[in-house]
Amino acid sequence: MVSDAMILSKEYFMGNMVNIPLIQPIVDYLLNVPFVGYIVAILLWKPMFALLFIPGLTALMIVLLFIIWFERKLTARIQWRVGPLEVSRPIGGIIQPMADGLRYFFQEVIVHRDSHRPYFLQFPILIFIPVLLPILFIPAGSIIAINTPYALPVIVAIVSLIPVFIIAIGWASNSRFAYIGSVREAFMYFAYEIPFIFAVLAMILVYGTADTTLIVERQTIPGIILNPVAALVFFIAMAMATSRLPFEIPEADQEIAFGPFVEYSGILFGLVMTIAYEKMYILSLLMTILFLGGGNGPAILLLGDLSGAIWLFIKTLVVMMVLAFLRSIYARLRLDQALRFGWTTMIEISLVALVIGVIINILGWYA
Amino acid sequence: MMSENVEEMLLEVPVQPPTDLFLPVSKKFLEEAYRNDEYVVLVGPQHPGSGHMRIILRIRGDIIVEAIPDPGYVHRSMEKLAENRLYIQNIPLFERPAIMDTGNMTLGYVRAIESALDIEVPERAKYIRTIIAELGRIGTHLYDAGILAIFLGHTTGFMWPFAIRELIVEALTRISGTRITASFLVPGGIRRDVPWETLEFVRKTTFAVERRLKGFEKIFIRNPSVMARLQDVGVLTKEEAIKFGLVGPFLRASGVEYDVRKVEPYEAYDMLDWEVPVADEGDSYSRFLVRVEEIAQSISMVRQAINALKNIPEGNVISEDVLGEYRDVASSDIRGYFYKVFGSIVPPAGEFTTLTEASRGSLLYTVVSDGESNVPYRVRIITPGWYYLKGFMESLRGERVADLQAIYGSFGYFPPEADR
Amino acid sequence: MIRIKAPKPDLIGNIKLHIDALLTGVKEAVLPSTMTIHYPRERRKLPDNFRGYILFVPENCISCFQCSFVCPANAITMKKADNERNYPTIDYAKCIFCHFCVDTCPGNALQPTKIHDVAYKDMEEMLTQTEEMVKSPEIQREDTITVEYVIEDVDLLFRRIAEKDELVVKTPPHEKVREISSCIEPESCLACAICVGVCPNEAISIESSDVEKVIKIDSNNCTGCGLCVKECPVQILRLTRVSEDESEGE
Repeated sequence: MVSDAMILSKEYFMGNMVNIPLIQPIVDYLLNVPFVGYIVAILLWKPMFALLFIPGLTALMIVLLFIIWFERKLTARIQWRVGPLEVSRPIGGIIQPMADGLRYFFQEVIVHRDSHRPYFLQFPILIFIPVLLPILFIPAGSIIAINTPYALPVIVAIVSLIPVFIIAIGWASNSRFAYIGSVREAFMYFAYEIPFIFAVLAMILVYGTADTTLIVERQTIPGIILNPVAALVFFIAMAMATSRLPFEIPEADQEIAFGPFVEYSGILFGLVMTIAYEKMYILSLLMTILFLGGGNGPAILLLGDLSGAIWLFIKTLVVMMVLAFLRSIYARLRLDQALRFGWTTMIEISLVALVIGVIINILGWYA
Repeated sequence: MMSENVEEMLLEVPVQPPTDLFLPVSKKFLEEAYRNDEYVVLVGPQHPGSGHMRIILRIRGDIIVEAIPDPGYVHRSMEKLAENRLYIQNIPLFERPAIMDTGNMTLGYVRAIESALDIEVPERAKYIRTIIAELGRIGTHLYDAGILAIFLGHTTGFMWPFAIRELIVEALTRISGTRITASFLVPGGIRRDVPWETLEFVRKTTFAVERRLKGFEKIFIRNPSVMARLQDVGVLTKEEAIKFGLVGPFLRASGVEYDVRKVEPYEAYDMLDWEVPVADEGDSYSRFLVRVEEIAQSISMVRQAINALKNIPEGNVISEDVLGEYRDVASSDIRGYFYKVFGSIVPPAGEFTTLTEASRGSLLYTVVSDGESNVPYRVRIITPGWYYLKGFMESLRGERVADLQAIYGSFGYFPPEADR
Repeated sequence: MIRIKAPKPDLIGNIKLHIDALLTGVKEAVLPSTMTIHYPRERRKLPDNFRGYILFVPENCISCFQCSFVCPANAITMKKADNERNYPTIDYAKCIFCHFCVDTCPGNALQPTKIHDVAYKDMEEMLTQTEEMVKSPEIQREDTITVEYVIEDVDLLFRRIAEKDELVVKTPPHEKVREISSCIEPESCLACAICVGVCPNEAISIESSDVEKVIKIDSNNCTGCGLCVKECPVQILRLTRVSEDESEGE
C-alpha cells in the first residue's frame, strides 16, 4: 500500500519533468498549490507530455489543421487559383479545416441496410489505435513516452496493421465499389510493405541500434546523407502507404468513387478522411527520426526541453509539405503499374540501400 | 389562390425502398455473368467519372470483358423541337449540344440552309466564320484535355486547360457578345462585322495561349505518370477504327488520314495553309497527342485568317442574296432587320445535307423542307459522339477497370453532344 | 499531313521528364500566375457588345410584335398597355440572351446592357413587366475594382482599375428605313376590316361601296409595323420602302 502511494505521488512525477525555462517560474509557483500542483506535475511528466502535447494529441491537431489548409493553398497556387479564403479572410483562411470539420457534425450519418452495422460504425474509430500508438515511441528531443530498445520494430509492426482495418472498413460497407477499393488496398499493401521494411532495416544497420533515442543521438550526420537510397525508398513507400498521388489507388475518386469509404457520410466521413493524414503524420515522424535527425538542431535557449520538440515538429511539417506538393504534379498510376513498380524497381533499390547499410555498419562510423 | 375550405390529407410516404428496382439489363444477362464468374458493375450516371451516361461493365477479375453503353440521359429531342421553330430560331437550338463548339455546330446547319437557298457568303464573313470555328475547336480540345486530366486524378491538368480556355472565351466574348453560345452565324454570313481591335486582340490571344500551353506540356502531356496511364491503352487498329465507324481526331489517331475540311473544303479552309495530324498507334496517348497538334494547327489557321482579313475591306459580312431589298442598310450589321430578313425564309422543297468537321469528328446535318412552311419539315443531326460511341465501347474490351476512365477521357465522349 | 510519333523515353529520359514536371510545379508555387478574379469585390470588364439584360424604350416601340415572333425561347409576350398599344414583357426564366429581339427591333426600342447578375426571389418575379424594363434593375454592387484582360508580351495580364464599370452602354442606333404598308390588289379586298382593327396607329381605313373598295393608308401615321400585312386574310397588303418625301399612298 505504501509503495503504491509512492508511485503516484507528486515527487515521482517531478523526477521526470519537462524543463522549459520560459515558464519555469509559473510552474514552480503552481507546483506548490495543493491540487493544481498535482495536475501540473502530471501534465509536465515527460511521458504524459509526449502523449498530450508534443508529439502527441495537440501537435497532431495543429498539424492536421495546418497540413489540410496548406495542401489546399499550395495546390491552388500551382493551379493558378487562390484556394480557401472566405472563412477568415484577414488571416488567409487558415481555419477553413475547422469549418469543414464542424460542418461534418451537422450532416446525417447514414448507415445503409446492407452494411455490417457494428464494424461499419466502429472501425473508423478503432482504426485510430494503430494510427496513434506509434507516437508513444517517437522521441521529441528528450521527451519520449516509452523508451525501449525495440522501438523501431514495434512501430513498423503497428503501422502495418492499418491496412487491415481499411480492408475491413471496405468489407463492412458491402458495396461493389467498396469491395473493389478494399481489394486494391490489399494489393497496394503488398506492394509497399517489403521495400518499407527493407528501408527501415537498412537504417537500423546504419545506426546499429533500433532504439529511437539512440538513433537521434547518433545522427551527427543526418541519415539522408548517409543512405540517400534508403531515404528515397522510404519516401516512395510513404506515398504508397498514405494513398498520396501518384499512388492514390484504393481511393480513386473518379474510378471507384472513393473506394472503401464510399458509403460514409457525416462525422464518420470526417474521421475516415483524417486517417490518411494521421498516417502521413506518423510516417513523417518516423522519416524525420531516421533520416533528418529528429530533434537535433541548434538549441533555443528559453525553451529548454521544448526546443528539440519544436525542431522535430518543424522537420515533420517540412516532410509533409513535400508530400502535399506531389499531389499537384502527378496523375494516378494504375494498380498493376504500382504493383510492378513496387515489386521490381523499389525492391531493387531497397536491396541497394540494404547493401549500403551493411557497408556502413561494417565500417562502424558511429564508433 | 387558395380556397377557404382546404382539406388536409395524410399521404403514406414509404420509407422502405422499393424492392423491384429497375435494372437496365435483362435478368438473363445477370445470370450469364454470374455463371461465368464475372462481376457486373454499373458505372452509372451518378459517378464521379462517368459523365451523364451509364456504362454497364462485365468484369472478370480486373479485366473488362464487355461494356454496354446506356446513353440517353441528356436527350432533349432537338430534332423534334426543330420541327416547330422557324429556321432562324433553330440556330441557338443546335448550338447547345457541344458547349465550346459554337462555330462548328451552327456552321453545319447554316450551310445546309445556304445550299438550299443558293446563297453565296461574302469573303470577309467566310474568314470570320473560320476564325470562330477554329476558336471553338481550340476551346473544345482544351476542355477535353481538362476532363482527361481529371479522370486520371491530375487536378492541375484540369485547372490549367480551363484557365487557358478562359482566354479563348474572352476572345469569343469580344467577337460576339457572349462567352460560349454565340449564335453568331446566320444564313448568309455573320450577324455583324468584327472591328479591327477585336481581331488584333484575338491574334495576341493566340500567342498567350501558346505560351501557357508550354507549361501545360511539361506538367501534363510529358508527365511520365500520365504517359504510363495512356500509352498502349485502348488500342484500336486501323481496320477496327474503320469498321467501328470512328470519326474525327480519333480516326486520325489510328492512322486514317481523313478530315472533312480537306476532303470537301468549306468556308476559308482551302485558302489557308494547314496540315492534318495523323498518328499510327491508335492508343489513348495518340488520340490525345493528335488533338494537341490540332490546337497548334488551329492557332496557325486563326493567325493566317486574321492576316488575310487585313486586306479585305470592312463592311460586307452578310450576303446580298439573303438581304434582298435591305442590302444597302444591313450588309455590315443586321441590327434592326433580323426578323424582316430571316424570319420568313422558306427553302425550296428537298433534302439538303452538309458534312462539317466539328472538334470531335464529322457532323452531319440534313434539312428536309417541303417548300411551303417556314419551319423545317425535318432536321436530322448526327453528332460525332454518336458516331464513335460503338468504337469507344469496343476499345474497352480487354482493358482494366481503371482504364475505363483513361479511355473515356481520351475519347472525350460528351453525352450532351451524343444524346442531343 | 503531319505524322505524330508518341515518345517512348528510356530511363534517363524518364527521370528528365520527372524533373521537368517537378520544376514546373515549383516555379508555379514560387511565382504563381493566378487567374482568379475576386468577384464580387472585383468585376471583370465586359466588352461593350456584351449581351446582358435588355432595357426598353417605349417611345421608340411601334408595336410590330417582331421581337416576340423571333424569340427562340418564346420568352417575349406582348401585353396591352393603357394607350391601346402592345409592349413586350420578357420572361427571364426562359430568355437565353441571344439578343435576336434586340437585333430585330426596327425602332431601336430594345437596348442591350452589360448587366448579367440579376437575382430574383421567386419565379413570378422573373416575368419582367414593361414598366420594370424601362429602367435598370436593382443590383447591389460590391465591387470597387474592375479587372480587364490585357495581352502584353505574349502573356495575359490583369489590369486592375479602381473604378466601377459602367453597365449601361449607349449603342448608336442603326440606320432606319421607312416602310409603309400598301395594298397590292384592292379588288380582292373582303372589307373585313381586320387590318383597321389591328393597326396600332389607326393609319389604315377602308371605304367600301358595292362598286369599289378604297383602302387608304395614311403614310404619316403608318410606322411600317407590318401587323396588317400579317393579319390580312387574303394577303394583299405588303410593306414597301419609301424615301422620306413621298406623300400618302393609296
